[in-house]
Parts: sequence; structure tokens; C-alpha cells
Amino acid sequence: MVSAPRRRYELTQSQKLMVFILAMSLYGISNMFSELIPEIKLGPIEIKVEYFAFIPLTLCILFNPLYAALGASFGEVIFGELLLGQFGGLGELEKFIEFTLAMYIAGLLVSDPRNRKQLALASFVAVGIDQMLSAIVDISKVWFGIEELEAVPGIPESIVLIEGLSFLNAMVITGILFSLLPTLFLVPRLYGKIEPLLGMKPRDSRVQVSFGKLMTPRLLITSILFVFIGVTGEFLSEADINIAVWEPEFLEQYGSGFMWVSVAAAALVLIVTLYAAVRAKSKNSQSTEGSQI
Amino acid sequence: MQAIKQSMLDKLSVEQIKIELMRTAFGRQSVLLSRFDPRILIVWYSFFAVAPWFFHNKTILLGMLVPMAVLTLSSKVSPLVLIIMGIGLVSEIMYILFGSLLFGGSLEAVWPLATLTVKILIISLASIAVFSSMDPEKLSDALLSMGMPAQFSFGVSYGYRMLPILIEEYHNLIHSFRLRGRSPRDKDFLRWRSLVYMGKIAVCAFYPLILNTAKRTRTTVEALEVRGFTYALISPDAKRLKLAYLRVKPLDFVFLGCSALYMIALLALGRIFVL
Repeated sequence: MVSAPRRRYELTQSQKLMVFILAMSLYGISNMFSELIPEIKLGPIEIKVEYFAFIPLTLCILFNPLYAALGASFGEVIFGELLLGQFGGLGELEKFIEFTLAMYIAGLLVSDPRNRKQLALASFVAVGIDQMLSAIVDISKVWFGIEELEAVPGIPESIVLIEGLSFLNAMVITGILFSLLPTLFLVPRLYGKIEPLLGMKPRDSRVQVSFGKLMTPRLLITSILFVFIGVTGEFLSEADINIAVWEPEFLEQYGSGFMWVSVAAAALVLIVTLYAAVRAKSKNSQSTEGSQI
Repeated sequence: MQAIKQSMLDKLSVEQIKIELMRTAFGRQSVLLSRFDPRILIVWYSFFAVAPWFFHNKTILLGMLVPMAVLTLSSKVSPLVLIIMGIGLVSEIMYILFGSLLFGGSLEAVWPLATLTVKILIISLASIAVFSSMDPEKLSDALLSMGMPAQFSFGVSYGYRMLPILIEEYHNLIHSFRLRGRSPRDKDFLRWRSLVYMGKIAVCAFYPLILNTAKRTRTTVEALEVRGFTYALISPDAKRLKLAYLRVKPLDFVFLGCSALYMIALLALGRIFVL
């Protein structure tokens, strides 16, 4: 190596395509199988494998997280839905955004693929973000779909309870058995072995991770967490207050109004996310240009 | 009992899953909705996927449900899909209801929950009717012409061709893992030990699969590059050539017109009869 400059991890166009296709086909195949695994139901508590989260997660950690996450989500839509004839239309868009965001953030969190602590953190963060966002969407669906929700006692608490249980189940079953353990097993083994097969260098842990890059994911997670808590709290408190003073006209307007507030909050989070990601990227490329000069 | 267990395990075998997947992915027949232009169908679907959320009038909702049911029946969806959807929907609503009773609610909750069920039913039936009657490659071309990145449409074609190979490979890996390993011999409660063993194999088999797929991906991408794939992805000429077969025919406008007329009539009816 003749004084190789400390280049940041960069990919050519075809390498990006390789990462994309790899993530797509692997996660697609795993998704087909996980859709067919039967689930055990104990009343409202379902014990089931949501997805094989370790595959996209491993690829996000080892390669460029953005392309791996996008590829995995596309793979889910194509293999798991389209080819199986169960494409859900607009509902898929929601899953797509949630999953890509979760995997991307988790992939960014890991700066050194050999660090087991980071791997463990990333595997919980990945499943956690995804499940949390989908819980928010589910709750707001019921909220928006039922006109006089506040007038019907018990339903809001019931939905929050059910969503909470399914979140817990996903974190335990998918998070530990199909995310944490396989990731800890696979990433150290594949690191340095799979990259040459795609004709690229392993992600180098010695490259300094800029402050901005470390900061953004943490910021994002907290912001998403706060949005989640906020929406749930708002949701419960509104329900409490409005039971007593319930007026059809007012509530109907207020109801859709609140829905738009939560949609706007979600959109805001998304925009901030994208903006932060783009900014971090441009900052990085600037700093590399600077160092190369 | 033993026989039932055995047949259950047979159903779960990878071979069975493989056949099932192949059948759903490759066996399609022409139905009523597949005659229309896929772009028109997507536009039609996106209206019916969003609209139910904005109506609280049950007359309108039930009126929307009828054509959805008819179209779903006409698109020859496998009954299994419908049954699974029905069970999922009913059980979800039931849990919410029981939960609300637990928190001191009453049976009055049934009525608003039924409205919600109808809404979800309209949306899911619309998506089943449209997307199960559409050939995936046609759908991806339609999305491409609507501005979806070309990677998606490539992914669909690639998935179609690679699916059998990938499944075969995964199957072989599982076979070789089972040949070299030893499955738990002692019978225990609910066979959980063998379930854990199968789960472990299913996860471990991904290690060689990831490496093999990486090799194959590199070959694929290099072959694609030789044929100028990345250029074709962004070139408008290539896109035009690929999508030349998509044409909106008068029949499509008839379909859209009928739907619009039906909706207008329904809205008018909803004003008169408020359920």
C-alpha cells in the first residue's frame, strides 16, 4: 500500500448496485419463509416471528447502510408481497418507510463491526424503531377510522394495551432470537470475508467517525421516541377529557384536525431525518475533499 | 395423533413451501381486471384506498363494499387468502372489543368498530382485487412509467428469474446442515427442542447463502454493466422503448367513468339515507 490516503468509505455505482441486489434477494428470500412460519396465538398475544431482521441489519452494518436498507425494503415488497400475490398497495409504503428508516439508523450506529456492544445496540434499535413506528400508525388508524372514539369508553386503553403487548412480543422474539443472536454470530464472521467477494474493501473502523454522523442517529432516535410518547399521551389524554363534554360536530372536526397534527408530526420527523442525513453526507464529502487537498 | 403430527411436519417442509411459492409466483390467469391498463388500475386503487377514511356515513361505506366484493370474486383470488384476511380482521376487532370491555366499556363499542371493519375491508378488498389480477412485471412497468426508480422494476424481473434458484440453494443448504448435524432424539413437550433445532438451522444456513449470493450478485452486476445497464437505467430512450406496449384504451375510460358515476350516485344516496 503506497501511502493510501485515508479515504472515507465510498462506493462506485456498480458496487452500490451490488449491495442493493444482495440485500434485496437475501432479505426477500428470508421474508418469504418468515411469512410462512406459523404463529402461536394466546388470545391477543401473538408469538410470532415478525421478520428475519438480522439479514438486512448485517448487510447495513457491513456495507453502505442506505443502499442495504433500501434494497432490503424493496426485497420485502417484491419477493414477500408482489410475487406471493399479496401486495397491499398503500399499506406497503408505510412499512417501506418504517423499515428503511429503522435499518438505516441501526446501520449508522455501528462504527466498528467488531464491537459487540455496538452490534447489540444496533439490533435492538433496528427492531425497536420499526415496531414503534408501526404501532403509532396502527393506533392512529383506529383513531381516525372511528368517528366517536372518545365517546366509546375503553377502546383507547384497549388499543394502547394491545399495541404495547405486540411491541413487547416483537422486541423479545424478533429482537433477541432473530436479530440480536444471529447478528452477533454473523457480523464478525462475515466482516472481511464478504467484502472481497463484491470487490470492495471492508468498512474500516479506524476512519474517524465525524461528530455529526454520530450525533444524528441518536438525535433521531430520541426525536422519534418523543413523538411516539407524545402521540400516545395526547391520544389517551384527549380521550379522557372528551368523554364528559362530547359534542358530535365539534369532535368530528377536532378529530380529523388532530389526525393531521400527528401526520404533520410524522412528516416533520421524516423531513428532519432526510435533511440531517443529506447534510451529514454533504458535510462528510466536503471534509474528505478538504483532507484530500 | 402421530400421523397428524407427521403430516403437519410434512406441510412445513421446505419442499412444500417451495412448491407453494412457485405456484403463487408463476401461476396466474387472465381475469376481468387484468384487461385494463395497469396505470389506470393504480389510479383507481389509490382513490379507493384513501377515500374510505373520509366517510363516516355507513350507507356510502356499504355501497363501496359491494363493488369491491364483486371485483374480488371476479379476479379469482384463492379462498385461502380471503380466509386468512377474514380471520385476521375479525380477531383484531374482537381483541379491541374485549380489551375495551376490560377497561369498563360496554357493548355499544360494537357499532363504531363495525364501521372501522367495513373501512378496512373495502381497502383490503380493493388491493386484493387490483394487485392479484395484475402481473407483477406489468405492475412494475406501470410504476416505472409513473416515475418509480428503475431499480424497482429491475428488482421485479430479477426476482422472477432468481427466485427458483435462490429457493433451491437455500433448500440444499438446509439439507446439508441436516445431513451433517444430529437432530434432537428425545421426545419432549410440544417438540420444542426440534423446533429450536430447525430454527437454528434456518438461521445458520444463511451464512453460506449470504456468501454465495454475494458471489452471484457480483457476476450479475458485472454482466449487467457490460450491457450498459446503469446507462439504460437513466436513459429516457431506453425507458420509452421498454414502456411502449403500455397503452390506455377506450375501455379503460369506460371503467373509470363507470366508477365515477357509481361514486356520485352513492354520494347522492348517502345524503338521502343516512345510516
